[in-house]
Amino acid sequence: MDTSSPAAFVNGDLLRRYIGQKVRAVVQVIRSDIGSVVGKTTDDQQIVVKGSPPPSLTTYLEVIGIAESDNTIRADVWTNFGDNFDAGNYNELCKLANGEFRHMFI
Amino acid sequence: MGEILTGGVIEMLRKETVKNQEHMKPILQVTEMKKFTSHQEPSNERIRVLLSDGTAFIQGMLGVALNPLVNDGLLQTGSILRLDRFLCSDIQNKKIVVVTEVEVITTKADIIGNHVRARKASDQSGGESSNKSNATSGFEQHGRSDVTSTGGRQVNNTEIGTSYVGQQRPQLYGSGSGSSFEQSARSDLSGGHQINTGTSHAAIPPQQRPQVYGSGSSFEQNGRSGSNQINTGTSHAAIPPQQRQQVYGSGSSVAGSAPSARSYSNPPTTYPPQRQQQPPMYQNRGPVARNEAPPRIIPINALNPYSGRWTIKARVTSKGDLRRYNNPRGDGKVFSFDLLDADGGEIRAACFNAVADQFFEQIVVGNLYLISRGSLRPAQKKYNHLPNDYEITLNNESTIEQCYEEDAAIPKNLYNFRSIGDIESMETDSIIDVIGIVSSISPTVSIMRKTGTETQKRSLQLKDMSGRSVEVTMWGNLCNAEGQQLQSLCDSGEFPVLTVKGARISEFNGKAVSTIGSSQLFVEPDLVEAQKLKEWFAREGRSAPFISISRELTGGGRVDVRKTISQIKDEKLGTSEKPDWITVNATIIYMKVDNFYYTACPLMNGDRQCNKKVTDNGDGTWRCEKCDKCVDECDYRYILQLQLQDHTGLTWVTAFQEAGEEIMGMPAKDLYYVKHEHMDEEKFEGIIRKVAFTKYLFKLKVKEETYGDEPTVKATVVKVEKINYGSDTRTVLEAIDKLRTENASSDAGNSGIGTSGTRDPSSSLERNQADQYENQGQYMGGSYRGSGSYGGGLPRQHVGGY
Repeated sequence: MDTSSPAAFVNGDLLRRYIGQKVRAVVQVIRSDIGSVVGKTTDDQQIVVKGSPPPSLTTYLEVIGIAESDNTIRADVWTNFGDNFDAGNYNELCKLANGEFRHMFI
Repeated sequence: MGEILTGGVIEMLRKETVKNQEHMKPILQVTEMKKFTSHQEPSNERIRVLLSDGTAFIQGMLGVALNPLVNDGLLQTGSILRLDRFLCSDIQNKKIVVVTEVEVITTKADIIGNHVRARKASDQSGGESSNKSNATSGFEQHGRSDVTSTGGRQVNNTEIGTSYVGQQRPQLYGSGSGSSFEQSARSDLSGGHQINTGTSHAAIPPQQRPQVYGSGSSFEQNGRSGSNQINTGTSHAAIPPQQRQQVYGSGSSVAGSAPSARSYSNPPTTYPPQRQQQPPMYQNRGPVARNEAPPRIIPINALNPYSGRWTIKARVTSKGDLRRYNNPRGDGKVFSFDLLDADGGEIRAACFNAVADQFFEQIVVGNLYLISRGSLRPAQKKYNHLPNDYEITLNNESTIEQCYEEDAAIPKNLYNFRSIGDIESMETDSIIDVIGIVSSISPTVSIMRKTGTETQKRSLQLKDMSGRSVEVTMWGNLCNAEGQQLQSLCDSGEFPVLTVKGARISEFNGKAVSTIGSSQLFVEPDLVEAQKLKEWFAREGRSAPFISISRELTGGGRVDVRKTISQIKDEKLGTSEKPDWITVNATIIYMKVDNFYYTACPLMNGDRQCNKKVTDNGDGTWRCEKCDKCVDECDYRYILQLQLQDHTGLTWVTAFQEAGEEIMGMPAKDLYYVKHEHMDEEKFEGIIRKVAFTKYLFKLKVKEETYGDEPTVKATVVKVEKINYGSDTRTVLEAIDKLRTENASSDAGNSGIGTSGTRDPSSSLERNQADQYENQGQYMGGSYRGSGSYGGGLPRQHVGGY
């Protein structure tokens, strides 16, 4: 996988903009299975993250990977973000990073 | 043509045989006329006249309604008038005819009759005295233009055609100052009547006023009992509040009615029943002239600047110190005291310079005195908290005489107690009296004022039947005197009653009561209320729970203002009078290692540790200058010099004990031991290194201070907090938001200035801060509310309008 290009910060809404592109998102783990994790994005939408999740998961999880559809990410990098996370702030970040200030990010 | 005029009527007017038009409508001639404008009513011209009946003169005043007649020329000098409506009153011992309606019989006429005196003295006025002479034609204007509280009018007391005697005599009575017009309220002046005279108003500076006397009358304005109000349009005497000569020609017509033909007659101070002989203290007071009948005592509440000669009988409730002052006019000294009389009237009396010397020893708090003849002026509400619009200034004519017999009618003190519960809702800085039970009192502490002087402070808790308790702070001498008394009482297990008179409500985390210079404290007073309090306390107060209205930790209202480091310099924070309190999110990048602590005094000073730097005596003991004691072991307290950096800039700050501990993670004493006692350099360095590059939220107090000649802005760390990323981010988000709306509202995309956007997100900024930090009562976010130029690369926005 191409790891050099920057990953866009996405929430549920923004994911569809980047289908086929590298994205990153923080999700709240709802359910985890072998090979996938169902998570809630910071704007309360459900997506599926495919790949090999780490054995133990905290409440919040950041995934970086390619957006496969408007509700699926194939993730390569999984990072536990702990149990305390301000989803609201992250959401705002996503909006700003893709809106007004996208020139700063991509 | 003398028959035309009503001959002899003037005499009758003087004798009060004729007083107004009911008696008769005399026909008189205007022999002189003068217009003047009173200071008080510049829009209204007033006209004074000299009226003649062919042989005698009398002064008169035309009602405003008659002005048109004069202005149109129908009424002029020489005109013959029938007074259709008039009133003759006694003003300052002069008869003045105030005319409201006339019939002009003849407009132009030669002056009828031959009169005794030369008129037109005005030309002589020039050389008279160094004082400003009234350059009026024989008219003398007196009194001030203040209107009395009853709306009484003033009539210019005019001399009737007197000539200026060209001499000037300094005050006749030894001590110089004093008003030249005594307004002696006559004895039958009971409360309501006002003397509508020009007043000898107290505003006359207590300077010399040469009195010029001719052979004749004094210019004593003995207002007679003011039963008559002069009912003209307000005639205000526009008297220049300056020195004035009193000029008396011979045979002044004043003679008639004025019983005391001379001014400065010995002021009778006592009332008839008591004394027959002149009290000795007046022996050396100049002439002679007869007193009027001794004046009766009037209630304090009836005093006003237009009271003539007055006397009050009152008790001294408080006495101030003899103060020296220095103002552009020169040096002087003053002392004042408060008086209370039987009707509950209160008033402050002040004495200056010589008068102060004269009376200072004499006045004793609690004694009864008869006081006469001072001048009255509006009270200075700033310093005088008594419920009286006026205050007395005593002068050389004033007399103070002690009453040796008690008068139970006059209380020792008048209180207007408020319950502690009321205080909560009262305005800060208002002056009140309060009574309560002292539930606890702390020892005196010394406070260093900003001016550098030290003063004592002592606080106690006061409880009363409202179920509330309040902190009362006393300052200065009160700490030692009453404070000590209270302390001993409390220490011995008692709960004394305390009354506080004239203390100020202050606000600092709730409401508290604080004494001011003129406050008075009374321990265990002999009052009905005190009794009641004691009983209540014994019954229930002791054990009842109390809600304190002081020291409430009110949440909210304290806002911290987010700034970046560069803004400290850019916005010149700290340079105004008050320090600026800001919050910065920054990293410690360097700490000075050399002096991270100082040796502090561990002794307790009140409820706080002294913490002043102690000096090493060399023998293992430490000396504290402030406590004036030596201790074996000193305390170690942090004094960290840190360099902070954020994305905008660098700055140095100083952190003290509490913040220091938070940053270093250990008490100063421990760190001191590590370095100096254990000599563990490695461990020490390790600790120091760990501190570097730690990021915190710093609450800073920024203030410009002058060291030597240079002012530098110094920042002190008041509080250090770990960053809560969540709320911090939210803060930033809001700031971004605000920037956005600002930019939207201004034209160019950059540096939106001033006008706030339609949404004002600043409030939410504060709200967020509020939940993050407990409010420690150190913030005044007001002036910097919502200055949202934070981040976003727009450092210097000065956002007004928030």
